[in-house]
Amino acid sequence: MKRWWLRLLHYATPQWKSVSLSILLMTFGVILDVLKPWPLKLVVDSILAGKPLPPMAAWLYRLPGGHSPSALLAWLVAATIVLFLCLWTRETVQSYVQAGAGSRMVYHLGADLFHHLQHLSLRFHGRNSIGDLVRRITANTGCVRDLVFAVFIPMFSALLSLLMMFGIMWRLNHSLALLALLAAPMLGLLVRRFGELMEERMYRQLQLEGKLSDLAEQTLSALPIVRAFGRENSLDHRFSDLCRQTGRAYVRTVIAQIQFKIGASAVTAAGTAFLLAIGGLQVMRGSLSLGSLLVFLSYLTSLYAPMETLAYLSAGFAAAGAGARRIFETLDADDRVPEPSHPKILLAPRNQGAHVRLEGVTFGYETGRPVLLNVNLDAQPGQTVALVGATGAGKSTLVSLLPRFFDPWEGRVTIEGTDIRELQLANLREQIGFVLQDPFLLPATVADNIAYACPGADREQIVAAAVAANADEFIWRLPQGFDTVIGQRGATLSAGQRQRLSIARALLKNSPILILDEPTSALDAETETLLLNALERLLEGRTSFMIAHRLSTIHRAHKIVVLDQGRIVEQGTHQDLLRSGGLYSRFAAFQLDESQAAAKSA
Amino acid sequence: MMKVRYTPLIPFFKRQWAKFVLIIVVTVMVCGVTALEPLPLKLLVDHALGNSRPPAFLLQALAILDARPTPAVLILVAAAASLGLFLLNSAVDAYLSWAWMSAGQRMVYDLSAALFHKLQRLSFSFHVRQPVGDSLGRLMQDSWSIYSLASGVMSPLQAVLTLLTIGVIAYRLQLELAILCLIAAPALAVTSVIFGRKIKRRAQVRREAESRLMSFVHQTLEAIPVVQAFGTQARNRQHFRTIADDAVNLAQRGAVLSGTYRLMTGVLIAAGAALILYVGGARVLSGEMTLGTLLVFLSYMTTLQTTADSLLRTYGDLKPVQASIDRVLDVLNSTDEVRETPKARRLGERSRGHISIENVSFAYESDRTVLTDVTLTIMPGETVAFAGPSGAGKTTLVSLIPRFFDPCQGRITLDGTDVREIQIASLREEISLVLQEPFLLPLTIADNIAFGRPDATRIQIEAAAEAANAHKFIRRLPDGYNTVLTDRGAALSGGERQRLSIARALLKDAPILILDEPTSAQDAATEAEILEAIERLMVGRTTLIVAHRLSTARKADRIVMLDFGRIVETGTHKELLAAGGLYHCLYSLQLHAFRLEVPA
Repeated sequence: MKRWWLRLLHYATPQWKSVSLSILLMTFGVILDVLKPWPLKLVVDSILAGKPLPPMAAWLYRLPGGHSPSALLAWLVAATIVLFLCLWTRETVQSYVQAGAGSRMVYHLGADLFHHLQHLSLRFHGRNSIGDLVRRITANTGCVRDLVFAVFIPMFSALLSLLMMFGIMWRLNHSLALLALLAAPMLGLLVRRFGELMEERMYRQLQLEGKLSDLAEQTLSALPIVRAFGRENSLDHRFSDLCRQTGRAYVRTVIAQIQFKIGASAVTAAGTAFLLAIGGLQVMRGSLSLGSLLVFLSYLTSLYAPMETLAYLSAGFAAAGAGARRIFETLDADDRVPEPSHPKILLAPRNQGAHVRLEGVTFGYETGRPVLLNVNLDAQPGQTVALVGATGAGKSTLVSLLPRFFDPWEGRVTIEGTDIRELQLANLREQIGFVLQDPFLLPATVADNIAYACPGADREQIVAAAVAANADEFIWRLPQGFDTVIGQRGATLSAGQRQRLSIARALLKNSPILILDEPTSALDAETETLLLNALERLLEGRTSFMIAHRLSTIHRAHKIVVLDQGRIVEQGTHQDLLRSGGLYSRFAAFQLDESQAAAKSA
Repeated sequence: MMKVRYTPLIPFFKRQWAKFVLIIVVTVMVCGVTALEPLPLKLLVDHALGNSRPPAFLLQALAILDARPTPAVLILVAAAASLGLFLLNSAVDAYLSWAWMSAGQRMVYDLSAALFHKLQRLSFSFHVRQPVGDSLGRLMQDSWSIYSLASGVMSPLQAVLTLLTIGVIAYRLQLELAILCLIAAPALAVTSVIFGRKIKRRAQVRREAESRLMSFVHQTLEAIPVVQAFGTQARNRQHFRTIADDAVNLAQRGAVLSGTYRLMTGVLIAAGAALILYVGGARVLSGEMTLGTLLVFLSYMTTLQTTADSLLRTYGDLKPVQASIDRVLDVLNSTDEVRETPKARRLGERSRGHISIENVSFAYESDRTVLTDVTLTIMPGETVAFAGPSGAGKTTLVSLIPRFFDPCQGRITLDGTDVREIQIASLREEISLVLQEPFLLPLTIADNIAFGRPDATRIQIEAAAEAANAHKFIRRLPDGYNTVLTDRGAALSGGERQRLSIARALLKDAPILILDEPTSAQDAATEAEILEAIERLMVGRTTLIVAHRLSTARKADRIVMLDFGRIVETGTHKELLAAGGLYHCLYSLQLHAFRLEVPA
């Protein structure tokens, strides 16, 4: 965690051209700022008061008509315009450069973080909330831009302009320069005195805001309890109370900022008054020109801005550091399933399924609490294996070992005789299709969602998959057919329609192995029958693992596996298990009765 | 229409009216002081160093002080005046920002308190549609819009006032130059209106690009199993880049646009300043005007520019403010589906806990019925377990009793009274809940246990904890009962949190108890401890158990099997086992999972 800013700057280096350009522009800007009061000085001193031009500006005499006051006035007016134009142009160019470079480095960092997160194991994702991870990618990545464009470059610019202004003032008049400089340590004292106070109060305010949002979030998610216990009023009080406290903290922060501002402007005011008095007397005595006094006054007001910049630097640096910490924490998390050093490539034959074996597999999410215990399972190519058991028996865990979302503690999983840990991860996952309880559709077009695994698929193939999944009919009824963009998490489609899209997706992927995790449990009976048809087409020619509760989905499986507390307690065909008279037979007998009854009543 | 929609916001402004009046008064003062600020410089240049006659009021003032208007005295006067004006300006300015902040934050927190009040009471039909994150956003972020709205209305006012005061003073100093100076103003206003709209639109497009990126990231991470299974990481990264590039381009175009705007105003100001410098300079040369007046005019040009800048910022800010206001109003204006009728009455005495569900049907969305024609009578003190496959409607059915939802058809009565005729607060006083997720709040443990009875004494709280098998672990915590639970009690184990929620229900001591499978997230050993506590809780209460697993169901007086929103069988454990129906089958399948707690 040491030198986080060096590590962060690594993401800024690809933008070094823009950053150097930005530094150059900024230097140019400082010079322009320093030059700004000069045309006025020359007008006042050399034209209105008739003094000769100072040596640095003597070249003005050589301009056409340089010796007539009115022509010289016109030239200086022109110079003012040019100066202003340069100033504004510079600012525009600089903000353009910074907007581009800044957001590019932010997104560079964001893309890296996003990429890293995509590869982290499901265990990591199970532990971290999505909202928090999204905030890290979208909000915290701003720290790299802030570090460069809100800390380093402004610091450089503030120091440079302080130095240059002082240099010029020194050349104009030593005593007045020292007097103006006196404002600097006083402003510095103010920064020290109030900087800490502002930070402290800001921190307290942020903490209270956090508490407030905590209370709101937890209340809103605990609403059933809140209502059942009739605590709405007291929580209202508590919330308003916290609101008041937060508000007070907020005002206190603002008051500290205001005090700092008052202090700073009092220093500037006093400085201006002193300069006016002492400078005015010197002008009266003739030891200073009026124009120079104007330059001094203008610099004194300009002094405030760089001092303020320096005052907020440490806060900006600390904020960037806080963001960076959250980012590197995630980037340094290395919870991935390891890729083998010499990965093998599996070429399973299409359209007939693959041979999958689990050999003595034991696995759990926390040490000491195994979820699966010594599981042995053999699925022949093309077989459909149904997994049956109570909630928490380990069915979903078992199937998530196949695509290596997790690796088993003991034992191994093989496909076509190869340990899956020896396979290239991407290659392994290519072999497996999924239909899950939640179809996870993306906010893309229907066609893109179906072609999620095979972006190269053409429209014909996509439509064919949709037809096979019984999905074409409703897709054509959508406003733009296959090009309709699906609303957030498929909100505009019914659960059954979404599930059929995910079946079409799996059909198009055409992988030899298929995992179905309760694909119909969120659906009502009618929708389910619509789906079964499509599912059957999907199961053909694949080795499938299916978690389901309804006999209608299970009984045609080649092999039914009954899991209990992480162990396989029965396995065999529907007929085998019926004959053996175990748990399954009782379950099956009942569900058959019920479905017959339902058929009669329908 | 518009008016009606926005009226709920008016009281929040009204409550701060005194501050707003003060703000307007002080704003006028600020404008005045700003306009006066360059005058001491004029005094110095013209009257102290030049040789024009000081203004009459100054001579009179000096005469009263018995001072002669020598240049040195005038210099001191100028310096003092400058100091005074500067200090006055910063004091008034400070007061203004303080007044803004304190009025603003009070409005904001008033509004969010009102939102919180409303959100807590809106029926679950609202909350089913709006995820917590979204409501939270409205509560914590969108409520700031009321502040932005107020300042958005006030800042043009300030701009106009500034223009007016500067115009008056400039007019009195020099007519032609004043006109020259103010010529720039309408031009500045026009550019800021034109550009303001464009910049606003650009900013909106840019925010949209950013939120596209955010929702893409959100959805990808949400679908991470599918992403990894379908191996689309590389493609997603590419997509991220594409959206990000889009956002970069928009950011740059936005920067160019606002840069161009600044350039335009800069050119206008520079041209104005140059014109004034040229015309004024010539006049100073010919002796028609003093140098000090020229300096005053030049300084006014800078003020004009600052004003134009702030106007532009206001325009840019108002659009997102409107979107936020709409989101706030969505909540404030939404009507609740579960409402209390005016003639609703309080239950006179403690309910006996006799619940009757009569022909109840319910659907969350009109086309998806969850419960169909359910009829059931629950006797006082009876324990009824609801079992059945997931999605059968068990949780929905029990949610109707405390009126989290109202049924679409049929009615529910408590001790013979339709629950819709009982005051909601009074109805809910009779009901305790223990759910799968304990939902602890960021309060102390004692406050969490006393959640349903805030007036409970420490002795009562400890007794409840004791009965819930929670006292021991609470005592082991460094702050004991005063431990504040942050982050939903993440520091405690699942079993410990659940025991707190049981203690909470014990202390509330309501005659009706609803248990929504409180043990399903626990391992067997913890489960046994919790079950023991639950058994104590159930004594003497009408208990409704939602049993996703059948362990708690088997001891119930009656088990109600639900399937597809209908009751398919009812009876005791023994009866249902003997009947060999759905219960029998589910029970046999799950039996082995629960052998730990099979009682005698």
